[in-house]
Amino acid sequence: MTDPVVVCTWSAVRDQPWEETEAALTLGRTVSGACGAELHWLVVGPSLDEGPEIAGRHGVARVDRIDDPKLEDGRPDAFVEALAQYCASHPCRLLLFNQNFATRLVAPRVAGRLGVGVVMNGTDIEVDGDRLDVTAAAYGGDTRVVYGLEGPGPCVVALLANAVAPEPTEDAGTAPAATELEVDLSGVEERIRVLEAAHTEGPRLEDAEIIVSGGRGLGSPENFKLIEELADVLGGMAGASRPLVDEGWIDSSRQVGLTGKITRPALYLAAGISGATQHMVGCSAAKTIVAINTDPDAAIFRHARYGIVGDCTELLPELIRAASEAGDS
Amino acid sequence: MRIVVCIKEVLDPDAVNAYALAGRLEIGDDDKTLTQTTIPRLMNGFDEQAIEAALRMRDAGTDATICVVSVGSDLTVPLRHAMALGADEVVAIEPPSSTGDYHTVAALLAAYIRSHGGADLVLCGRQASDDDQGVVPALIGESLGMPVVAIARDVEAAGSAEAPAVRVTRVTPDGDEIVEATCPAVVTISNELGEPRYPTMPMKMAARRVKPTDVSATDLSLDPQALEPRVVMTRQFVPTVKGDCEFISGDEPADVADRLVRRLLEDNIVRGRSPR
Ligand SMILES: Cc1cc2nc3c(=O)[nH]c(=O)nc-3n(C[C@H](O)[C@H](O)[C@H](O)COP(=O)(O)OP(=O)(O)OC[C@H]3O[C@@H](n4cnc5c(N)ncnc54)[C@H](O)[C@@H]3O)c2cc1C
Repeated sequence: MTDPVVVCTWSAVRDQPWEETEAALTLGRTVSGACGAELHWLVVGPSLDEGPEIAGRHGVARVDRIDDPKLEDGRPDAFVEALAQYCASHPCRLLLFNQNFATRLVAPRVAGRLGVGVVMNGTDIEVDGDRLDVTAAAYGGDTRVVYGLEGPGPCVVALLANAVAPEPTEDAGTAPAATELEVDLSGVEERIRVLEAAHTEGPRLEDAEIIVSGGRGLGSPENFKLIEELADVLGGMAGASRPLVDEGWIDSSRQVGLTGKITRPALYLAAGISGATQHMVGCSAAKTIVAINTDPDAAIFRHARYGIVGDCTELLPELIRAASEAGDS
Repeated sequence: MRIVVCIKEVLDPDAVNAYALAGRLEIGDDDKTLTQTTIPRLMNGFDEQAIEAALRMRDAGTDATICVVSVGSDLTVPLRHAMALGADEVVAIEPPSSTGDYHTVAALLAAYIRSHGGADLVLCGRQASDDDQGVVPALIGESLGMPVVAIARDVEAAGSAEAPAVRVTRVTPDGDEIVEATCPAVVTISNELGEPRYPTMPMKMAARRVKPTDVSATDLSLDPQALEPRVVMTRQFVPTVKGDCEFISGDEPADVADRLVRRLLEDNIVRGRSPR
């Protein structure tokens, strides 16, 4: 039997919606099917109530769980050591993570510890004999690169959010009970000390159903108020392109894109944003994109469902009015 | 404190983006390489900010030597730029062959640091704007046994001269986090650090005569196996974007706004005023 495909999730990671775990399990199932291997799910940290049902829906043959007090607060050294011990006793063909803030660091560290290949920003994986062909986004999404990875040892891949649509199997099976595994983390002492923990103030852009975002086309920091006001009237949140963050018009927690937030709202309204690929990475999963731009050839219109060619500083006040009227009626 | 900053030269991502959006990005006969010679090469933006982070530490009074190192061929231009910005030493590492991957690059950088004076602090950009992988700093950290503090907006010296440490502000999805790590450590720098400085004219003039120190893979006495690529690029292509935009127009902004809001209501995308 070929070594299994292992999807690894870390319960300490907060910015991890279930759809993404299911997307990784969906891709993991495709790969395991193509190479005649089993699909395993490794849960690191406390187990999650939804786990068994999801495992059943995705044809997971085995669920392993590693828990240790040192794994609970999301610190990396314990995680890397736990994964290294797991891989030493559980050979696998592919170790698949969802890409998020935490795994962006720990996935390559695990690969470095094991001396195996790693690909981040993965969007797809195909099996070609002994080789895995991993497609990954490059140049902020302008291009895709296909990387070939061969053993020995697992290939480590991080799957980009929104790249794969979650698809449960037709015949939902019964979930296997989780096997508790022991790891010895007694020798691990986190080398990074937290002096001041991060604390979110209020709702997060990643969770917003409606996002109104402004870009350099707003012209001045004062006009960002129009973005905030429209977001408020629509019951959503305000976002921004990177130049506004770099200029200090708005806090970096509002940056949408490759190096900002990856969002998936129902509505993404972009005003004065050109639609650079690095920005679109953060919003292309929106169900509906509306774009307002003075340039009819702006790239954003290629992603938009509805487009308005015009000056956003004139249109935003009218949209605020029209949306409030609609709400009042 | 000895600070080693690792930099990479990349194709200008804005130019690549402009060609891609115009549908004119060309990929060569090898199916891999972006071939337009009109796309300039420049220092990866996050790496330039990593140099800036080192310079700010020195400006703040840390007694630091700054060594800027890069793997590749023909690196005089970016390394002279690093020198003009204020680096004390610039080093070019020639890779053994062109087939290396980022595991090879990380092995070379780690071996250089190990064998050429060590480092109290290794600074890297959070990712390179060409492949966006961001794995080299993590691989260097693992190879040298150093902790890796990822995605920083600020780095300060902490601890004492005998036991140096760094205090780092990280940009996390939940806001800023302040951490401290004992040196030696790897820190990756994000765009939130802010604009890097420009070189002054006299510094630029002085840097024109600088020759980077050349180091070859053989100087680093590395096990050839460590340089074997694990990941081989086989193809690069431009993904297609499907467009189905419906343009909404009208005589006055008010008409356009009314039409758009009506459409969004019809599509059940918005429900008017929020409940809060
Ligand atoms: C490695 C890397 C990572 C990056 N990460 C991110 C990221 O995470 N997020 C991000 O956003 N960017 C990111 N960028 C930057 C990105 O490439 C673009 O430069 C940026 O998104 C452009 O922002 P913008 O659309 O606001 O500005 P511009 O590109 O300057 O566009 C402004 C737009 O406004 C329009 N306009 C002007 N006036 C008006 C008006 N009155 N009314 C309506 N429209 C008007 C113009 O026609 C234009 O289309 C990254 C870049 C790199 C290289």
